[in-house]
Amino acid sequence: MTMKAFEYASPSTLDLALKALAAPSSEALSGGTDLLCRMKDDVAAPERLVYLKDVKDLAGVKGSAAEGVTIGAGTLLASVVASEAVKASYPALWQTTLEVGTPQIRNMATVGGNLLQRPRCWYFRNGFGLLAMQEGKSLVRLGDNRYHSIFMTDGDALFTSPSSLAVPLIALGATATIVGPNGERTLPVEDLYRAPRTDKQRELTIEPGEILTKVTIPPAKGKNASYEIRAKQSHDWPIVLASVNLTLEGETVSAAKIMLYGVAPIPWRSAAAEQALIGKKLSVETAEDAGKAAVKNAQPLSMNQFKVSLTTTAVKRALLTAGGMKYWEA
Amino acid sequence: MADLDTKPRPGASRRDFLRGSGLAAASAVISGPARAALDEAAAEAREAQDAVPVLSGQVKITLKVNGQERHTTVEPRSTLLDTLRHRLDVTGPKRVCDRGSCGACTTLVDGAPVYSCTTLAVSCQGKTIETLESFDTGPEGVPHAFHQNDGLMCGYCTPGFVTACKALLDRNPHPTLEEVKQGLNGNICRCGTYVGVLKAALAAAKSMKGA
Repeated sequence: MTMKAFEYASPSTLDLALKALAAPSSEALSGGTDLLCRMKDDVAAPERLVYLKDVKDLAGVKGSAAEGVTIGAGTLLASVVASEAVKASYPALWQTTLEVGTPQIRNMATVGGNLLQRPRCWYFRNGFGLLAMQEGKSLVRLGDNRYHSIFMTDGDALFTSPSSLAVPLIALGATATIVGPNGERTLPVEDLYRAPRTDKQRELTIEPGEILTKVTIPPAKGKNASYEIRAKQSHDWPIVLASVNLTLEGETVSAAKIMLYGVAPIPWRSAAAEQALIGKKLSVETAEDAGKAAVKNAQPLSMNQFKVSLTTTAVKRALLTAGGMKYWEA
Repeated sequence: MADLDTKPRPGASRRDFLRGSGLAAASAVISGPARAALDEAAAEAREAQDAVPVLSGQVKITLKVNGQERHTTVEPRSTLLDTLRHRLDVTGPKRVCDRGSCGACTTLVDGAPVYSCTTLAVSCQGKTIETLESFDTGPEGVPHAFHQNDGLMCGYCTPGFVTACKALLDRNPHPTLEEVKQGLNGNICRCGTYVGVLKAALAAAKSMKGA
């Protein structure tokens, strides 16, 4: 379907972009791979698009493993994949970025756009809203929910958080910087997301008129890795993805952050898996125990029980990858 | 060149007919002229508050397509793909899914393969746009390798594959089979002629280096 007509501005500085975004019903446009498709499907109909790719200051990867890395929100995913600093020190992020979409998508899509894309829930994408409630009943619970959440399912938001980059970034302790009409604020990446309680609420905490400018990853220490399970080799979002960031003292895990994608309406931190691992030596057995702990309190819907076992496997394999072990030899 | 845009064609082609009937259908649903004038006035009022130019309605743009400066008029919502095909008669890139999911519209913008169906034409001004119309069709070119290696069945995905393949070989002239698979995994062939496509890509790499 043809998109509804809109105004278009392509400012070259952040200040001009904020001014252009102040008009009502404005949306920021970057790679366009999510927003333009939602507009074609008539799920979004902004009256003005502000194109951010001409704001050159928004793009680029700076820093090193020792001092931490800052990635501009306008950085192409292809540029993240090409970054030696990211590849060497933050393999959890590098691997996940490499697996986003296709070569063409990675040449278009940006880090900020990936973090702020809207859910892939097919009820939302067909105009039934984020919560997909009709006459007080949840279409997700009644209908096909094979790709929906297995955690927080006692609530009304049953879609899964769509950004695969959020998961390694949160595991690595990254912060996001947002600029708006009232100045700049910096927050942990996990605070970009929330589970909406009403259909009017968005799952993103960023306000209209604000721009995500960069993410900052603290210096790399310990070991990090991601493991993604997907139905197709390309062109698709993960079904389940686990990102882990471990601090080791000798061979013992002294601290762990284990983040999951595809299981909840927000990037899901598995404290249970972390607790199962801390104080132990990383091995095939402890990795498997952590995977089992991760799903102990899972409440799958009618058609997504399969995600429970995928989650166990993803956590186990991400941990073994971080430990330099080959899961297929285990 | 401007003269290319207005080049007369012998008789009415099927494309001209479709374009004409599309215009007729579109004009039937345009709201009244009074409404349009009101919208325009509102847009101008909003623009006055902005420090950057705000484009709306019909916008004149210049695109550098296959080495030529092409002038045309689009709306901000016009995609690069539709502008190439419907306005500039550059019909190599194909419209299939129109959602950045299939690869048939793959076009090179500043040398990088992108989905032109999910790219706005207004955002491509000042950039170098290449479609497969500009590729070498001789024995060392990618199109020839697809022909020689049965890299197509129905052929509708082929322009996208050829473009993605050219972009891959420009960046990596000596790809392994695995690298070819990764480089072309943004394109889909519903006939399933992937074996021929992969053979063609490897053969093109070989003939490009003159082996």
